[in-house]
Amino acid sequence: MSPLEYVWAGVMAVIAGPAAFEIFGVGIPITLLMVFGGFLLGVVGGATPGLAGPFLMAVSLPILLSIFGFTPDALLPVLGFLVGVMKGATVGGSVPAILFNTPGTPDAMMTTLDGYPMAQKGQAGKALRTAHFASVSGDTFSDLVLFTCAPFLAIIVEAYLGFGEKAALIILSMAFIAAVVGVSPMKGMIAAFLGLLVASIGTGEDFYSRLSLGTEVLASGVPLIAAVMGVLILGEVLVAFENMWRERRSQSQIKEVAQSGDNHLSWKERKALMPFIGISALVGTIIGALPGIGSTLAATLGYATGEKMHKGPVKFGQGTPEGIASTEAANSAVSGSNLIPVLSLGIPGNVGAVFIILAAESIGGFNPGPTVFRFTTSEVNPELVIAFGLFTAMMLANIFNWVIGGRIMAACGIMSKIPNQVLLPMVLLLTLTAIYAQETSFVAIYFALAFAVLGYLLRKLRIPTLPFVIAFILAGNLEHAFRQAFAVSGGDPWFLFKSPMSLFFLALSVAVVIFFSRPKKPAANKAVEAERDA
Amino acid sequence: MKFATFKSAAAALTMMTAATGAQAQNWEPQGPVKMMIAFAAGGGADTLGRLLAEEIGTRYGWEIIPENAAGKGGLTMAVALKGEPADGHSIGVTVSEATTYAIQTMPNPPYQLDDFTYLSTLAGTQMGIIAKPSRGWETLADVIEAAKAGEQITVGAMSQRLADATYVLGKNNGVEFTTVMTGGGKASLNAVVADDVDIAWSAGAQTAAVKAGEITNLASAEVEPLLMQPDAPQVQDFNLPYDFGVKFIVVAPAGIPEEARETWQHHIAEILNDPESKLAQFTNRAFAGPVVVQGAELEALMQESYDAATGLLDASAE
Repeated sequence: MSPLEYVWAGVMAVIAGPAAFEIFGVGIPITLLMVFGGFLLGVVGGATPGLAGPFLMAVSLPILLSIFGFTPDALLPVLGFLVGVMKGATVGGSVPAILFNTPGTPDAMMTTLDGYPMAQKGQAGKALRTAHFASVSGDTFSDLVLFTCAPFLAIIVEAYLGFGEKAALIILSMAFIAAVVGVSPMKGMIAAFLGLLVASIGTGEDFYSRLSLGTEVLASGVPLIAAVMGVLILGEVLVAFENMWRERRSQSQIKEVAQSGDNHLSWKERKALMPFIGISALVGTIIGALPGIGSTLAATLGYATGEKMHKGPVKFGQGTPEGIASTEAANSAVSGSNLIPVLSLGIPGNVGAVFIILAAESIGGFNPGPTVFRFTTSEVNPELVIAFGLFTAMMLANIFNWVIGGRIMAACGIMSKIPNQVLLPMVLLLTLTAIYAQETSFVAIYFALAFAVLGYLLRKLRIPTLPFVIAFILAGNLEHAFRQAFAVSGGDPWFLFKSPMSLFFLALSVAVVIFFSRPKKPAANKAVEAERDA
Repeated sequence: MKFATFKSAAAALTMMTAATGAQAQNWEPQGPVKMMIAFAAGGGADTLGRLLAEEIGTRYGWEIIPENAAGKGGLTMAVALKGEPADGHSIGVTVSEATTYAIQTMPNPPYQLDDFTYLSTLAGTQMGIIAKPSRGWETLADVIEAAKAGEQITVGAMSQRLADATYVLGKNNGVEFTTVMTGGGKASLNAVVADDVDIAWSAGAQTAAVKAGEITNLASAEVEPLLMQPDAPQVQDFNLPYDFGVKFIVVAPAGIPEEARETWQHHIAEILNDPESKLAQFTNRAFAGPVVVQGAELEALMQESYDAATGLLDASAE
């Protein structure tokens, strides 16, 4: 098959795939329906402070798996749903930020700066329309970059990198994640090494169970989903419980302002926003492609760049649409391009991507990494078809977003009125159910609770959790690459330092850590703090 | 015997088998069944397991949840499966050498051959030693020649047995190869395609690439010529007198109820023997068709494989 035929096969896998039901004899493809469902859930969840895209993805994954099973047919509907959630949550997060000054997702933090003042002026509708327009534009742009870059990057990696270089590349990505997430690279590294340590329990090539202390429980290793969800979600829930307990006396009522101002967003105004959206989308896309840097930093940088460009009468921070556009375009542009490292290298760059990898690994038949993009002409490469099917699902989500995203957003204001004491127990219960559904063993729940405590402690010590999770997931690949590189070198102890390419990656890893260890500007610190406290 | 008599006798026999079959189907799993696959997602064992799970699900309504317990050439899965309750609700999909080879290399093996109930074979491999045609090697003889000329040859192997076999192959031909463990499934094929290793053992994943001319078999490591490339020489011609063919098998912890065992065997055999089933079609596409060996015959096969492993180990220890 030629590359174009692969693209077409991917599109057809979604559109002409299994139908969920028929309307007037026309089958509605299940993948389309799942993307739509995921998108709806994403917007609503994103608009609910306390929920966020990653949580929704984490909880839906085991449920989706039990519905769709583990056949290759399940890949596109499940991945489509997750992608829908990811995209929906990005636009949904701006709703409570604009209406109530409470960001629904951490990356909507900067949206409050201009969104809430606009709402106070009675222009909430205009602010929401601006956020939607900027967000969808940024997202679409970023997706287009993903579709063009990921295959090429993957082919280059596969063609030029041997075992040693791949090991060095994984080290580089982990160093990068450890260095840029959180307040200090050293804390990031502590988290990453902790992840590696936990991942080495019960794994490896040796015939005895490593680090299992002779126990049966540890002999087969730490269950992946329990560890990831324990640290990421349950740890967060514990922190939120603590905060609720602390702040139980300071319950303030959320006030709504009557909306009377100009709430329309004309084409002329949209055109005027385009430069801001364009620059921010570019910033967001570049940042998104680097593993470990979240959308919050993208939003901050987008906002800062927009502020420098802006010359209008209303300043940034006092309620100007340009401020919202700069922020939203940047944080939404992250969501497409952060799949570049996932699909081309198999390296997840953020929490959302972690769940995409988990989904692919649980279902099987699709292993994100360089081998996906092998354009075999003689025989169909099913993974490549899935990859293009995934791209199609992303584009469908964008179309839903363009057409109806704005209307759903407008209806979601009510979500932020759900009190935490109602929401958090539901989150806790859903997460534990999801873990049990996936692992079907009570031991997994104990593991999850243990990792919840770990996640809580990490947050209390201001150690970022993302490097822990990503190191935990990549540890197996890293060890495998190490062993292979060592074996191929014929047992040379300097196997990692033998090629210029791996030397370059390793030098860059050290440089990244040193670079980010230098004192930071206050603005950057603020963004980093927001990301860490997320 | 007249044909009519034969026919009625055959019919009676079929009915009897059908009756025992129906009896065997009395057993039903209570809740979901855990299927542990001993190799990484996307490879031959993985696809066999998942297709079996799917077919049993659609035909008998059982809920089977496949999971990959990959690593150490099947050892990880075997250890995990041994710890599962022997009630027919936990099965494993692995290869015959996982319970016959590695345990003989260990001072304190975590399990023994008889720690498992061997339910059924699914398919046999098409094991070959592969390389890219662009390297200019036509058979294993050319590779040995290159190694003798001083070239360092790296060989991808997916199990301890094949790594040991690589060593014996080198030793018996007066050269030394560098072995790299590549992991199961498509991993060794991918390593050759990406030029990460020079040659590799591949158990059948290479079929499509061989037909497309992207990969060639330097030798067949089965006792018979490879279906995809019958003209490739045999490894036995290179002083390596062993059969490296491997059977993909379904196992359960030892001591599962007889009813459960019979039902499993019946269901697996029925699916493999139905040429329309996805599983049977896959075995035709990727391997040499379905292989149904069960019961005492399979146990004898496992013992034979165990004894052959002892022979190879002795040779590599010398």
